[in-house]
Amino acid sequence: MGVFDTLGISASGLLAHRKWLDAVSDNIANINTATPTSQSAFKERYIEAQAVDYGSGDGGVRVATAQFGSGEGRVVYEPNNPLADKNGNVRYPDIDLGDQMAQLIMAQRGYQANLSVIDRATKTYQAALQLGKG
Amino acid sequence: MTSPISAIMSSFPTSGVGTDMSVGTSTTTPAQGTGGTDFASVLASSIDGLQATQSHADSLAIQASTGDLKDVSDYMIASNEASLATQMTVAIKNKAVDAFNQIMGMPV
Repeated sequence: MGVFDTLGISASGLLAHRKWLDAVSDNIANINTATPTSQSAFKERYIEAQAVDYGSGDGGVRVATAQFGSGEGRVVYEPNNPLADKNGNVRYPDIDLGDQMAQLIMAQRGYQANLSVIDRATKTYQAALQLGKG
Repeated sequence: MTSPISAIMSSFPTSGVGTDMSVGTSTTTPAQGTGGTDFASVLASSIDGLQATQSHADSLAIQASTGDLKDVSDYMIASNEASLATQMTVAIKNKAVDAFNQIMGMPV
């Protein structure tokens, strides 16, 4: 355990929220990705966060793994699509854009919260270093 | 995540200077002060730790300029930590020099 532990803990929070942002941007980027019905659709990405125990570890959070949603998607009738099967169907990922936007806001706010913790901790440490001066 | 500057704080209670300065340690005997590390080595090791923190920040700065940096926050936090560690080492050094000057100013 170091003196400036808060910075490292908040850094892990920043990393986790950045990965969440990456997952959301991946989902939004592929929201219109069509696949043939013989293949699975783009699978929605989920980030599984896990707490690092402060007593035994360094504290903070880590991304345990990335989970994937269903590849079933939704089958859309698009006979003009070059990927369409003989019935004229293609597969689109079943991702809700509103849900992704909500997750985007949560990830952004979480990132900002960790940044402000770093800012506040830096000011606190600097105030402690002013002890006994003057 | 472990800041090298923590070596200073962990080495203080075992050092002779630290035990002699601290008031509340009733279990340690005063004779232990002769066997512990002196303040010069404590200061030297703390400066070594500071050097390591700063070189870590420097390497991340190089990565930032070459485009190899994986995460923007990594560099900002490392430079922040290096700045804080520098301020802390300077504060400890100033306190030590003040104490030395007060002793040297004693009329004998």
